[in-house]
Amino acid sequence: MAEKFDHLEEHLEKFVENIRQLGIIVSDFQPSSQAGLNQKLNFIVTGLQDIDKCRQQLHDITVPLEVFEYIDQGRNPQLYTKECLERALAKNEQVKGKIDTMKR
Amino acid sequence: MRELPGSTELTGSTNLITHYSLEHAYNKFCGKKVKEKLSNFLPDLPGMIDLPGSHDNSSLRSLIEKPPILGGSFNPITGTMLAGFRLHTGPLPEQCRLMHIQPPKKKNKQKHKQSRTQDPVPPETPSDSDHKKKKKKKEEDPERKRKKKEKKKKKNRHSPEHPGMGSSQASSSSSLR
Repeated sequence: MAEKFDHLEEHLEKFVENIRQLGIIVSDFQPSSQAGLNQKLNFIVTGLQDIDKCRQQLHDITVPLEVFEYIDQGRNPQLYTKECLERALAKNEQVKGKIDTMKR
Repeated sequence: MRELPGSTELTGSTNLITHYSLEHAYNKFCGKKVKEKLSNFLPDLPGMIDLPGSHDNSSLRSLIEKPPILGGSFNPITGTMLAGFRLHTGPLPEQCRLMHIQPPKKKNKQKHKQSRTQDPVPPETPSDSDHKKKKKKKEEDPERKRKKKEKKKKKNRHSPEHPGMGSSQASSSSSLR
């Protein structure tokens, strides 16, 4: 299962790096850079094709919408996982307390 | 009369984290301090990613609410289409230059293999390191000596052999008898 995530991660990293290099070329463009620019543009297309291929392997993966809230706020999404675990433990302890009192 | 609910082995009184083998995940996320910023999770991602997505209209929420219209497949850009990407020479206007600014990367105290290759720390010269060590030793020695002296004094005061308070009291008590 981790392999399909690794493939997607690899493709995304390459794609982002390609975009970054494209930005460098464009920031101070020279006529000799045209060929490189054209190549990078086609790499964007192939990169998107590769990412699209990964979609089929990951069609069953679901991501909670709350995680997107964290990312949109510029926060670490691992904080969401941490808070979920903490809430689950707190609820677990709360219910255990109720069950124990009912048993008495 | 209502039927009683069926009994199950798994109830709220069970530690669900151990039941679902999540101890490793719990220790990983709750045992250590998780850093707040998105750039700590994605350190290699270029650009100012810690800013809210609403600032530059790059939020994931907007992508979900208004998904882009998907055409067919991704086709390579042909020669005639590439003609539209002929750019003017020279630097970008200042409005667009901000996209390349990245937040300053903090140097981690922990030594990682990646950071070693990217940010090589200049090695200390042997003379400097020895000089520092020697300074530390010199500073510690007089303090150690003082402490030792103080300890000795305290021991000697309380010992019966030392002519001081202890022996004078003993002598006075014997005279009263």
